[in-house]
Amino acid sequence: MGVNIKTIIRYFLMVFVTLAFLFPVWNMISASFSSKLAVEEGRLLIPDGFLGNWERALSGSWAEGLINSLIITVTSVVFTLLISFPAAYVISRYHFMADKHIFFWFLATRMAPAAALVLPYLVIFRAVGLWDTIPGVVIAYFGFNIPLAVWLFTSFMSVIPKEIDNQAFIDGYSLWAYFRKIFIPLCMPAIGVVSFFTWFFSWSDMFFASVLTSFQAKPLNALLLVTLGRVGYGVEYGLASAAGVITIIPGLVLLYWAKTYLSKGFTFGRI
Amino acid sequence: MSKTVYLLLPAFLVVLGVGLIPTISLINYSVQTPFAEVEKFVGLENFRKVFVDTRVIDAFQRNIIFSALALAIEIPFGIGLALILYEKGKLNTLISMIITIPVLIPPITIGLLWRLMARENGTLRNLMNFLGLYYDPYRVPEQAFGTIVAMDVWHWTALICLVVSAGLAGMDKSPVLSAKTEGATRWQIFRHIELPALSFPLVFVSLLRLIDTLKIYDEATVLTMGGPGQTTEFLSLYVKKTAIDQFIVGYGAALSLIYNLTVLLLAWLLLIVMTKGKGVV
Repeated sequence: MGVNIKTIIRYFLMVFVTLAFLFPVWNMISASFSSKLAVEEGRLLIPDGFLGNWERALSGSWAEGLINSLIITVTSVVFTLLISFPAAYVISRYHFMADKHIFFWFLATRMAPAAALVLPYLVIFRAVGLWDTIPGVVIAYFGFNIPLAVWLFTSFMSVIPKEIDNQAFIDGYSLWAYFRKIFIPLCMPAIGVVSFFTWFFSWSDMFFASVLTSFQAKPLNALLLVTLGRVGYGVEYGLASAAGVITIIPGLVLLYWAKTYLSKGFTFGRI
Repeated sequence: MSKTVYLLLPAFLVVLGVGLIPTISLINYSVQTPFAEVEKFVGLENFRKVFVDTRVIDAFQRNIIFSALALAIEIPFGIGLALILYEKGKLNTLISMIITIPVLIPPITIGLLWRLMARENGTLRNLMNFLGLYYDPYRVPEQAFGTIVAMDVWHWTALICLVVSAGLAGMDKSPVLSAKTEGATRWQIFRHIELPALSFPLVFVSLLRLIDTLKIYDEATVLTMGGPGQTTEFLSLYVKKTAIDQFIVGYGAALSLIYNLTVLLLAWLLLIVMTKGKGVV
């Protein structure tokens, strides 16, 4: 017997798993390139090459939504890095009496359900004029971006020996020069990982985006929710699919690189 | 030390601003009836209402059943995949890439993917009908619930697989090798050598998933919008309907606080697991 039954079962399982994971994504890509009739009748195995969904998804309010999403995510990444990098440096270099409490506080902020925090955000943002603005959304995202960033940076930095700092300061480096010439280059891999996760959580969010914006600053995901919510008028699945494909492109492009760090980002660098 | 401590200040202030201030406002709203026709101090009345609200109790039970089902499927499935994909090879690398795709898709798009398949004329529905099964998650509550569980499994199994793989990769190989030479079965090796070594990552990722399943919102909203009826209305959906859509601020705040505290309790357990014997950082 050249081929045993176990090998056959194993390959059968692998084919099944592959199809089960790829088909739903293909189904959406196909729907985005299909005419309304084909989508409604469910003929989606092979798209009919209709481009109208994409024309609409890349113009008008959808284009504005995409631009808003890009501005929000890039701003989130830049500010999260600027705020959390120095904080993590201090935490990794000095031990505090209360560092366990600080970490719990950070963890609690990161883990808090969005649905439970959005009410005060809505009321406060309306009162101070941050509602329906891009800075408002970015600030709301700080709540889960900064704790995670500080945590990931800290676990990375605590591996870098403190002697490097001391030697540099003895050699006459200022803190800023030390950061710029030695420490930041050493931390580049961590900066990459933190940027990715900050981008990912900001890009993925729909909840804050849909409650805290209405017209001016509405990002892609919030628009998508509005489109999918119009049940009575018939949902435009083709258009929604085109927008959906846009939301998965960056993740797919970075898949190979990100896979190595995914378990780190979701477990605060613990695993 | 003295001057560098100021570098901590921006992060500290931001977390104070986005974490603590909203929580204090929630406490403040929860004992009043703000934005209502008559604004007054009501003490703990709003909290009493939460505990006798049948929709809250139903939603909470639903959340518990959902978490239990999702974890009970995802964890064995994720461990199984990690063990199958353990041997390095081009095919295994490709498959582990493919199953990781859902983790990098925004939750709202996950909901869209599944709605495309579950809707009238959707592929999943056609497939079920082809097999002679009646499947309509927009009419049958159990099927709606089952579809959400299936969606969560599809979305997150890869994360468990990745965490377990990382655990396996960091393991000492010699006990497995010596067990093999002594003729141990695959199951014995897993049960007595690999599983004990994986206990930390498994407890960790289970707690993480438990917290996340308690927070489910985007996928469920897009797929079923809580329906049919209120049969897939999870806590987060009900909190959002009450506090934001109907804007009942006092009651919504009390509800949000209780919801937040439940998750916080689990986060505290997570911290204990995370710091066990390892210190904070």
